[in-house]
Amino acid sequence: MTLTTRPKADKRPPEKNNVIPRKPRSRKRGNAGERTLRNTVIIVIGASLLLLTAYPIGLAFVGSFHYWNPLSGAFDFIGLENYTDLLSSGEFWSSLLRTGVFSVVVIFFRVALGLAIAVAIFSNLTRGKAIFRTIFYMPTVTPLVAVAYIWQMMYNPQTGAINTFFGLDINWLYDPNFALPSIIGMTIWKDFGYAVILFLAGLHSIPEDALEAASVDGANAWQRFWSITLPLLAPMTVFVVITSIISYLQAFVQVLVLTQGGPGTSTQLISYLIYEQAFVKYDFGYASAAAFVLLIFTALLTLISFRLSAGRKNSLEG
Amino acid sequence: MKIMRAIASLGAAAVLLTGCGGGGAGTTVEKAPSGQPIQGTNLTYDPNKLVNDGKPIELEWWMWDGDKQFQAFADSYQELHPNVTIKTVNQPWEAYWTKLPLQLQSGKGPALFNIHNSYDATLSPYLESYDVDLAALEKDYNGAAAHVVDEKVKYIDYGIMTGLIWYNKAMWAEAGLTEKDYPKNWEDFRGIAQKLTKRDGDTIKQAGFNFNAAYNSLGFLQYQNGYNLMAEDAVTPALDNPGTLQNMQYFLDLYNVDKVGSKDFGPKAIESFGKGQSAMIYEWGHLHGTLDKNYPSIDYGTFQTPVPDANETPYAFDRYNGESTPGINAGADEAQKAIAQDFMNFFLTDKEDMKNLVLNYSLAPSYKVLADDPDIAANPVVQALGSLDRYIWPGPMPATFETSITKAWEDVVYNGVDPKSAIAGAQKTIASDLAKSGFTSAEPGYAHYAPSPR
Amino acid sequence: MRTRIASGVLTSLLAMIGIVTVFPFLWMVLSAFKPNSEINAAEQNFLPQSWTFENFLSIQENFDFLRLFGNSVFLSVTITAIVLYTSALAGFVIAKYEFRGRGLLFGFTVGTMMIPWAVTIIPRYTMFVDAGLQDNYLSIIVPAAISGFGIFMMRQNMHAVPDEVLEAARIDGASEIRIFHRIVLPMSTNAIAALAIFQFLWVWDDYLWPYLMINDNANQVLAVGLTTFAGQYGTDYGGLFAATTISILPVIVVYIIFQRRFIAGVASAAVK
Repeated sequence: MTLTTRPKADKRPPEKNNVIPRKPRSRKRGNAGERTLRNTVIIVIGASLLLLTAYPIGLAFVGSFHYWNPLSGAFDFIGLENYTDLLSSGEFWSSLLRTGVFSVVVIFFRVALGLAIAVAIFSNLTRGKAIFRTIFYMPTVTPLVAVAYIWQMMYNPQTGAINTFFGLDINWLYDPNFALPSIIGMTIWKDFGYAVILFLAGLHSIPEDALEAASVDGANAWQRFWSITLPLLAPMTVFVVITSIISYLQAFVQVLVLTQGGPGTSTQLISYLIYEQAFVKYDFGYASAAAFVLLIFTALLTLISFRLSAGRKNSLEG
Repeated sequence: MKIMRAIASLGAAAVLLTGCGGGGAGTTVEKAPSGQPIQGTNLTYDPNKLVNDGKPIELEWWMWDGDKQFQAFADSYQELHPNVTIKTVNQPWEAYWTKLPLQLQSGKGPALFNIHNSYDATLSPYLESYDVDLAALEKDYNGAAAHVVDEKVKYIDYGIMTGLIWYNKAMWAEAGLTEKDYPKNWEDFRGIAQKLTKRDGDTIKQAGFNFNAAYNSLGFLQYQNGYNLMAEDAVTPALDNPGTLQNMQYFLDLYNVDKVGSKDFGPKAIESFGKGQSAMIYEWGHLHGTLDKNYPSIDYGTFQTPVPDANETPYAFDRYNGESTPGINAGADEAQKAIAQDFMNFFLTDKEDMKNLVLNYSLAPSYKVLADDPDIAANPVVQALGSLDRYIWPGPMPATFETSITKAWEDVVYNGVDPKSAIAGAQKTIASDLAKSGFTSAEPGYAHYAPSPR
Repeated sequence: MRTRIASGVLTSLLAMIGIVTVFPFLWMVLSAFKPNSEINAAEQNFLPQSWTFENFLSIQENFDFLRLFGNSVFLSVTITAIVLYTSALAGFVIAKYEFRGRGLLFGFTVGTMMIPWAVTIIPRYTMFVDAGLQDNYLSIIVPAAISGFGIFMMRQNMHAVPDEVLEAARIDGASEIRIFHRIVLPMSTNAIAALAIFQFLWVWDDYLWPYLMINDNANQVLAVGLTTFAGQYGTDYGGLFAATTISILPVIVVYIIFQRRFIAGVASAAVK
């Protein structure tokens, strides 16, 4: 997977002997129909980008330098105050750190579990593949709000299924040592199926001859997995990791339903903090500043993952 | 293409599915009602007239709770004026306070909406004054005068609410207790709670007293120890005081020393009480409605909150707060505002529906004609309240007080923060939030006001 | 023999993980048939001791559940259909046409995926309120109509459509839009199925935006409705279980229908 466009040479239709173009034309300019279609697409996408993305981002950026409260109608320039307040707030940094821990743990398990289960389902040894594919994807297709309510009840220390079933006595959502892990556990359960399906798709698209050639060379299953399957799944892994980074840095609903950031602030993730500042305290300026810092982190992490994957690819090829 | 066709037909089906519904506007009324009794004593409402010239009109009324009781007012009004449709919209508390202010700010929002006075500063700019006879209103309603500013009133209280101890009657009887055993002071309360606790080794099976997630009400009992919330200037928060700490320590000891409950047993006190896990909880009067709606099978009683020393009247038993009458949206269109004004006149004189509303929240009614009502006098909660004379009103306390105190208690109870620094932290947050909104306490207006001891 | 044992071990290992995965669902579905007294009891049983349909009836009565369900289906289907079409068209144009700024357009479009909702939601909120689109489904549909992810996925997929086929159609005099409808779309069904499932799920799952935009409870979506329900009948766990059970069903059905194409579609789109 790559975000750069392919080399233009790829697009040239290979000349075929039996097809003789009636009138040679430049593909570059295109015909009238092509231009209309092209322009429509450009205009629609461009307008949507401008109106729904560029303009809001610009407004949020400007707003982050203001005391912006929609209720009182205040929009007063205060320079960098929101940013200095934010960066000097312990709550902000601990939320950010917590969000990092949350994302790393969830992404690790999502990828590891997803890969292991996908390989297992893909294996010829497994029976009932269709059933497993459905089962493991079920949590993913369940609305997060619903999932959070189910788990909230399962986490109840007295009547919840987890303590009852395992004979434990843990106050999952209120004990600061368990509250964040509880949210992480639920998120992994909800989302690992997504990785299973993506890795399965990746496995299906591995050319069979690559594996066959390897077995002719005498490689055993384990060696084949490490030297062929895994490297070929690298682009899919990058895809999973990047989409995960983007979505987990924004995770919010699970906190809203399960803990509201508590006990104290021990489960407050950065997006929940932004939500509270914006829509509970109506401090839009401060919330926008926090959102921008989040954007910078998201962009940085995404870029790093791209770089890492590109680097790995080069080392594999070279 | 099959997929596209499938999707298109699904979409069409969905349109059909959702397209119907809605509507239900009132009917045109040609002739004004006649012969209907005029209701009210000093403030009166005469229903024998056409409203909105008899033309159909619809308006919304937002609320966060009590939809059944408020709906009753709307129904009674619509019966008199069938051309009016009042649509009640009920939303959970958090959603309500997220959306309502933003709606009002954008110049929209419902014509009528319920008010909680902790959001007084937020809502006030968007409120239209009541079009009522102020003198008559003040004669009919206790405390109405306090809400009059510049000969105008935007809302008043329809009742007064405060905190009480709620107990499970079956558990009470099972422990061999009778009504004579209501504890008067906190020391006796400790003993009763122990009697009501059931343990299996270290595991609690039944909590004698549960205060989990009740910190927003429990956290303000420092008044019993003689301490105010605010400094003498009424604008500086001063809840970081020995009285607050003493209060917190008492409850922590109930769990840690007396083991009558646990932070890990029934993480939400109300729910735990409703499930029949906990024998006693401390909660405000609105619990009455909640219990009736969600836990109809729990048989409960109430008694007045104990005090440090039963032989000595405390500085105040507790704080109280008024439950506010609905507000009229100043941004609504004129026709809707006219109906809303007429409706509020009706609301304030509708004795029967008002009585049910007051009972639902266990309020001491502000409407004077209800004071002697036998049903209200017989209500255990109203009885338990006793004389309101020794209850203090801090004013329309902004929400940050309760949320910050809750955070502090959670930090102490679950995160091992020491009480002193947690409360100091809460005070800091409150001070910084108040700096933006501004708030002047009504504490100095308390009949027995005395500055906090130093 | 060895493979037999290996097969048994692997399958039962998967089955164990499968049970852990399914357990919360089973627990929820079974609990939906329990009376509240049993759900709240200190002694918990996995199976209902006395089966009841009361929960399913009461959510409809208290909550007009079907209405919210219908709203969610309508929005999910409409937005999914729009996104499929716009993404396929844009993906086709970006993949198959050459024009100046193509890379830039694609880059920006895909870049939107990276922007956290927190950055844009406040200005978008003020925008849509100012435009008077609150309580109007357009406010939900419009921002979702162009999807960076969708365009990215469909563009990747378009590489599977051979240029010769397009050229041949052009020579036969087919218009570009006709080529798109008659050739490109049918050749992209796998990718469309995959995107359909992703997109449907996102809309079905979306919480914050509809929560802010829709005030009228009757027009609310299911995910928000569930929290409203929990806020108002917080303790009617039976009702909550029943509501959740029903809210999951359609997505599972959609998934099972499209499952095979879904995996093939993901493969064609995400892997170069």
